[in-house]
Amino acid sequence: MTVASFHGSANQQELAEEIFRLMTTQGALFAVDAPIRQSLDNLAEYLAGKYQRDRNEIAAEIDAALTVNDQLFTRQESEQGVLFITSRQGAYVPRSTVDTHSFKKRLHDPENPLPVDDISVVVSTSRPAITTVEPVFISDYWQVQAGMSPVTPVLVEAMGHASTIAAVPVSPEVVAEAEPVVVEEIAATPEPVVATPEPVAVEPEPVVAEVVAAKPEPVAAAPESVKSSREAAGERSPLLNLPEGLTLDLSLPIEQILADQGERLEQILAHRLDQDALRRIVSFGRSYYPEASVTNLGKNDLRRIRDYILERNEPLLDTEIIADLYHHSPRQADYEGFRFSLNYRLHREKDFEFVGVEGARLWSTKGLPPIGGKRVKAAEMGQITSYLVEGFDNSLELQSAEAIRTSGSITRLLSFFEWEYGVLPFDASIAALVPTPMLPDQRSAVLRFESPQHYTTYLVEVRYPTGNRGGWLQGLEEFFRDHLVPGAMITISRGAEPNLFMISYEEAPEASDRLLTLDEKKNKFAFANLSYFCAVDADQVPSQSRYGRLKNLKSLPMGERRKSETVLEHVFEVMGEQVGSRSEPRYTLGLDDMLLAFNVLRPGSRSLLEHLLAHSDPFSSEADGRYLFTPAPREDEDTAEEVEDEEGNLQPTRRRFGRYSDDDE
Amino acid sequence: MDAKLIVFGETSLDKLLQWLRSSGEPKDIREVLIQYLQILSKSVTEDSE
Repeated sequence: MTVASFHGSANQQELAEEIFRLMTTQGALFAVDAPIRQSLDNLAEYLAGKYQRDRNEIAAEIDAALTVNDQLFTRQESEQGVLFITSRQGAYVPRSTVDTHSFKKRLHDPENPLPVDDISVVVSTSRPAITTVEPVFISDYWQVQAGMSPVTPVLVEAMGHASTIAAVPVSPEVVAEAEPVVVEEIAATPEPVVATPEPVAVEPEPVVAEVVAAKPEPVAAAPESVKSSREAAGERSPLLNLPEGLTLDLSLPIEQILADQGERLEQILAHRLDQDALRRIVSFGRSYYPEASVTNLGKNDLRRIRDYILERNEPLLDTEIIADLYHHSPRQADYEGFRFSLNYRLHREKDFEFVGVEGARLWSTKGLPPIGGKRVKAAEMGQITSYLVEGFDNSLELQSAEAIRTSGSITRLLSFFEWEYGVLPFDASIAALVPTPMLPDQRSAVLRFESPQHYTTYLVEVRYPTGNRGGWLQGLEEFFRDHLVPGAMITISRGAEPNLFMISYEEAPEASDRLLTLDEKKNKFAFANLSYFCAVDADQVPSQSRYGRLKNLKSLPMGERRKSETVLEHVFEVMGEQVGSRSEPRYTLGLDDMLLAFNVLRPGSRSLLEHLLAHSDPFSSEADGRYLFTPAPREDEDTAEEVEDEEGNLQPTRRRFGRYSDDDE
Repeated sequence: MDAKLIVFGETSLDKLLQWLRSSGEPKDIREVLIQYLQILSKSVTEDSE
């Protein structure tokens, strides 16, 4: 701005310029278009002082000069008098607040709106997911503060100190009111109170009066604390009573507590940790780990693990999975934590099944071929071997469970059923040998059986007993059929690993005999020439020369074999000596032959047969030690023909149990 | 602390968790039990002293 741009006389131009410079200097930090206001009075006073002139006179000149230069100055009359307004850019122009191009306006009021065909495009018609309330960890301290927990560190402190005071005889009313005093006194100077209880007892009233008057509120909260302090003061007990009926003396050494009731306490603590609503500590088997430290495995991880197990075509150890897929080394610090995480996560996935034992954590997955084939169905075997859980198990007659655990091996005779199907009943002797299930809900485990005589390895699945169903081992069919015959003695012993076992037999010079076999195509028993190189118990070998009648046994459906009484009757009819008439047949049979024939059709123990013989009406014992079977009289004489099917095969003589249902698990 | 006020499996569980977390690896239930009994015993004996 130059002087030439000002209007009026020369004096007025100079004056207007000076005032403009004055005001823009005053608003040097203003925005260029911000108004700079100044009153006529201020300007007149300033210039009158500067030029030593009359104030009113110069005020008139200022007013005239600025009014002439109205292109720069806006004159405004207000209550405070005359104001002149200008800005750093010249004349002041008020800022317009009208927004003609806002995003908001363009978004909600488009000039050319598109047609809305589907309202769901604009407005969501789906409900939002219901929010779940996640458990929140609340420390003991705040639980105590909120009165949610009986254990209070603060309270405990108060109790600990209060115990010394409570010994002083004070009336209940005084005690009820004096409690806050005790806490405060102790907070300040705990020792004097403990060391010298008498002074407190001597003059309780002034203290109570003083504190109650000062702080009436704490008095209301006192009774509970007082009650606790009384308990603590009376007899502080280190005895912890558990709802399970146990009493813990926490003053005893830990070793003694563990020796007395360690296993029970383990169970209780494990149960309590599992029941923790916050799931702060999680478990896999006997291992416990903070949930927050568990490594997460995503869907891709699980898919990779599953694919790898399928590729290897057998259950895999967790250590193998970690080494091959994750390349973790056991020397890494987080190895055990990661291993726990893997096991913990896989256990929660329905596509994976834990088939390991303690010390060898094996994982199986859907799609792996069944171990031991499908000749015997799990539901049927569970029922067939149920006699073991019903108490008819005399497998420990020759070797005690303790001896088996100590020696780590068992020796047993191989029956025809076991040889034919590669199955061993999970009796007490085997239970003493193989590891127990590692997880509570574990139904099976996979063991590795090695034959040191043939350098072969077999995967054997242990099906553990559940409820009223028995257990068994399956997967040894190939070994039995290749190297053994029924009646052979086998030895199973523990190996170097928890899931490794050795299976062996006593070798013998070659022998040949016509032995019982099952022709599966014809579903018939027959005798065939077999050569074998193993030591056998001659009385237990189902040879044609000694047990020729075994050929007449019917290969009953597994559903029928579940019924031990039906099988026993059939054994009597085939193997027994007919001592009755044609119309009223009766059969006698010795127990040893009976047991051998019974074990052709299904596993069974001597005690099971003795139980059936003693408690079933058709059976009775003879004086010579043999047993007599008297079949129930048949109403229809044609029954004999009826039981023969179209091919002339004899069907089970009794159909008392209805149709056989081929159910499976 | 009076043992009567202890709820086995709940009281001082945060201390047990802290110990387990600091150890950095899973622990056998027997070790967990021993540690927990030590925590409880300590809380009883310390307060009585």
